[in-house]
Amino acid sequence: MPVALFVSVFLIAACGLIYELIAGTLASYLLGDDVFQFSTIIGCYLFAMGIGSYLSRFLRRGLVTQFISIELMVGLIGGFSSSLLFVAFAYTEAFRLILYAIVILVGTLVGLEIPLLMRILKERFKFSELISQVLTFDYLGALGASLLFPILLVPKLGLVRSALVFGILNAAVAFWSTFLFREQLVRSHTLRAACFVTLGLLGAGTVFANRISSTADNALYADEVIFSRNTHYQHIVLTKWKDDLRLFLNTHLQFSSRDEYRYHEALVHPGLAALPGARRVLVMGGGDGLAIREILKYPSVESITQVELDPEMTRLFSTHPVLSQLNQHALTQPRVHVINDDAFQWLDKNSDFFDFIVADFPDPTNYSIGKLFTTTFYRLAAKHLSAGGLMVIQSTSPLFARQSYWCIVETVRQAGLRAYAYHVYVPSFGEWGYVIASQTPFQTPQQLPSNLRFLSARNVAEMFVFPNDMTPIPAEPNRLNDQILVRYYDREWKEIAR
Amino acid sequence: MERDRPVTRRAILAGAPALLGLSRKTDRATTGGFVNDSSPLGHRLRDRTPFTAPKRQVKIPIVIVGGGMAGLGAAWYLDKRGFHDFVLLEMESRTGGNSRWGENEISRFPWAAHYVPVPAKGESLARELFEEIGVLRDGKWDERVLCFAPQERLFIFGRWQEGIEPENATQRDTEQYRRFSDRMNEFRASGEFTIPMDRGAKTTPLDKLSMADWLAHEKFDSPTLRWYLNYACRDDYGALARDTSAWAGIHYFASREPEEKGPLTWPEGNGWIAQRLFERVRRYVSTNSAVYHIARDGSHLRVLTERAEYIADTAIFAAPTFLAEYLIEGAPRAEGFQYSPWLTANLTLDRIPRESGFDPAWDNVIYDSPALGYVNATHMNLATHAEKTVWTFYWSLAEYAPAEARRLLLAKDWGYWKEAILNDLEKAHPDIRQCVPHIDIMRIGHAMIRPAPGFIFSEQRSRWTRAYGNVFFANSDLSGFSIFEEAQYRGVTAAQKALRAIS
Repeated sequence: MPVALFVSVFLIAACGLIYELIAGTLASYLLGDDVFQFSTIIGCYLFAMGIGSYLSRFLRRGLVTQFISIELMVGLIGGFSSSLLFVAFAYTEAFRLILYAIVILVGTLVGLEIPLLMRILKERFKFSELISQVLTFDYLGALGASLLFPILLVPKLGLVRSALVFGILNAAVAFWSTFLFREQLVRSHTLRAACFVTLGLLGAGTVFANRISSTADNALYADEVIFSRNTHYQHIVLTKWKDDLRLFLNTHLQFSSRDEYRYHEALVHPGLAALPGARRVLVMGGGDGLAIREILKYPSVESITQVELDPEMTRLFSTHPVLSQLNQHALTQPRVHVINDDAFQWLDKNSDFFDFIVADFPDPTNYSIGKLFTTTFYRLAAKHLSAGGLMVIQSTSPLFARQSYWCIVETVRQAGLRAYAYHVYVPSFGEWGYVIASQTPFQTPQQLPSNLRFLSARNVAEMFVFPNDMTPIPAEPNRLNDQILVRYYDREWKEIAR
Repeated sequence: MERDRPVTRRAILAGAPALLGLSRKTDRATTGGFVNDSSPLGHRLRDRTPFTAPKRQVKIPIVIVGGGMAGLGAAWYLDKRGFHDFVLLEMESRTGGNSRWGENEISRFPWAAHYVPVPAKGESLARELFEEIGVLRDGKWDERVLCFAPQERLFIFGRWQEGIEPENATQRDTEQYRRFSDRMNEFRASGEFTIPMDRGAKTTPLDKLSMADWLAHEKFDSPTLRWYLNYACRDDYGALARDTSAWAGIHYFASREPEEKGPLTWPEGNGWIAQRLFERVRRYVSTNSAVYHIARDGSHLRVLTERAEYIADTAIFAAPTFLAEYLIEGAPRAEGFQYSPWLTANLTLDRIPRESGFDPAWDNVIYDSPALGYVNATHMNLATHAEKTVWTFYWSLAEYAPAEARRLLLAKDWGYWKEAILNDLEKAHPDIRQCVPHIDIMRIGHAMIRPAPGFIFSEQRSRWTRAYGNVFFANSDLSGFSIFEEAQYRGVTAAQKALRAIS
């Protein structure tokens, strides 16, 4: 009997600590700044436990029933806490509010547990023995949980399932208590039924955890998946580890927040800085708004048209606090017009001219995306360039996919345009390539916006020089009717993967 | 791209009714019916049912009977050469014949002919037309109408593979594919396999053999190669390899340059070409004008429709040649002319079905299916993503004798064919029934001439290339196979003869 009781104490304590750790970890994943997150969450949690302890005095009758009900509530709220927080992060702007509300709610309930249990047990044990035993197992449980959490739970189960599993433990303790204290219970059947319902909900949650935050994704990505969604067009995944936020589309890395400035500065400035007085800019693809963030550094630019196929992308990067902070609210600026349409079709039916065009599409991994790298596409895009205008094209890696890269250069030339090839080193990508396409000769800019983190006028010229292992190799142009680029790309990246 | 396996929850939901024997009810209701049926009019002609005599009389030098590609080609030629005194009579409400097309809220789509291989340098007529309608400019083909990659794929061993020749071949298969390709190159080099066929064809015993016999004779016994060539005969001629002349079977491969990247295609198939032609000659066209009788009257012809009687100097008979017997007074039966019946269906898909393996292609073929697969009407869209589409499903019923297949086509109702089509597609797309709200089916009793062994170099065929009195025949069936280029060539040739006859 006493052993069973103290196992319960051990488990309750472990659960209590786990919810606190989960909240702290999630907050630092999603919001960054771990010291701040952990400090405030531990503080709030302990404070809430204090509230719980204080409130325990107001519970007078039916202590066992009260205890079991509290266990079930902790199990439910704690168990679903990380699922709720992920959903809140992805779909609401009230993440912090919900985070602290959950922390305080769970803390208060956990704060009620031990005082109640001690009062239930006070008739059976001597006070000094009771307090020593309960607190010993309480601290032991905390130790167990704190070791288990980083070693086993986060890597193997992920945050969503860990919380659910410990929710089940809470509910199991409740269920067990209906037997341990059966002589003190009047309506044990009702309580047991409630236990079953809670266990069922948490069990179902564990089974369907994949759909809440795809633990399958967790196995695929190195970092914690904080957002995962299948849209009509693609599978969007965001991962976060400390200050590194990464976007994946159909499992392909699009950017890492640590070094995306290198990629986006190199994408925009060599071309746009060479066009003093550029007024109208078109961005195709790149619905993350990061290229636009760079374009907005030019006061001469009056209007930026963003054509992005997936409305979910532009919605996410317009409204989400963390993501819109990353692009400095680029997508909601008055100069920016977001159009959700297929770039090829939009170009075909639209007749506007632009001084600068950015083609920032995902790599040509399949025949659908490959259409956006064809002679026909570049010819069509060139019809939208104003006199002296420039187009810059994201062109995969000239190191890992050398023939693919030079195929894009050749395609631009076959479309009747001049092609200027350059590359940059982006740590999370490796060597990356771009092509500037134009009808008139292009000269590298002498002056760049002053507030850049990476580029300076001096190293722009260097980007147009290719080391020996990336120099041009023969490649056929990519045409709609053979799409040789998709084959080059497939072969070259397979060789890298080997 | 790989798609997910069936969702467990759905599998459970779908499984429970199946246990109760209610699984049919979980399928979506599919609407549709038969469209463009032309058999009632055909049967009136065959049965010589009386037609209403016309009240109006029109005197005109040339009458073109039939507004398919041959008739439109003849009209295009006459108009281009500055001759404007003619009429084109079409029994349907629209011209186009085997190039007719349809349209719904998702896409235009073909009802039959849906592509033209890139015409070689020698195909001057086809190139002339394509230059005129902007498909060929300064020797370059418009990239937007050259079939986008990927062109073809094959469903075999439970997944889609790229291309229509089966992969995972044994060494024997590979060797035979290479040898077959070498043999075709030899035939091509001979210069006898041309388009139009008239230009190079020389009488040869090859025509007496069936394609199947020729393959056996040449020791081509690889099962996948045999499947592929049988498929080619069913697709091009609506006949099995054993019912197709070896000359015709070879012609398909030996008449084209293998390295040409094509074919030319449009969402509405060859309907696009038909439409461009129609726009050029519409002032001569009279639709809903079925010719029911052509009679000689002195040096003139009396061409009768229910609307008007045309007193003409000559007629260009661009309708299928077998109809001559029923329409032209005194004309004999077109012996030896066999026609393959076809069934085509257009399926509306309001979502894209699941599948695994290679990316969706323009032409999608299921290995060992009695049908010919489907063509995706939205393949030629510039958009990178489609949520809805239209598939044109082709079935040549080649395993039956033509008359038997025609009986079957008429005997079975729409529901029977709908089920047959969905069952066939289900092999490659298990959830196809959840994706298709609508299927329209077209039955064509005499869809295309069948180049049966011996037909190409038969006297029966060549006699119809000569005039019958003042009537010049123009249908592509005179070439022994129904393709756009032959129809155009026959139409133009008949127009040239007609012009000479009246001058």
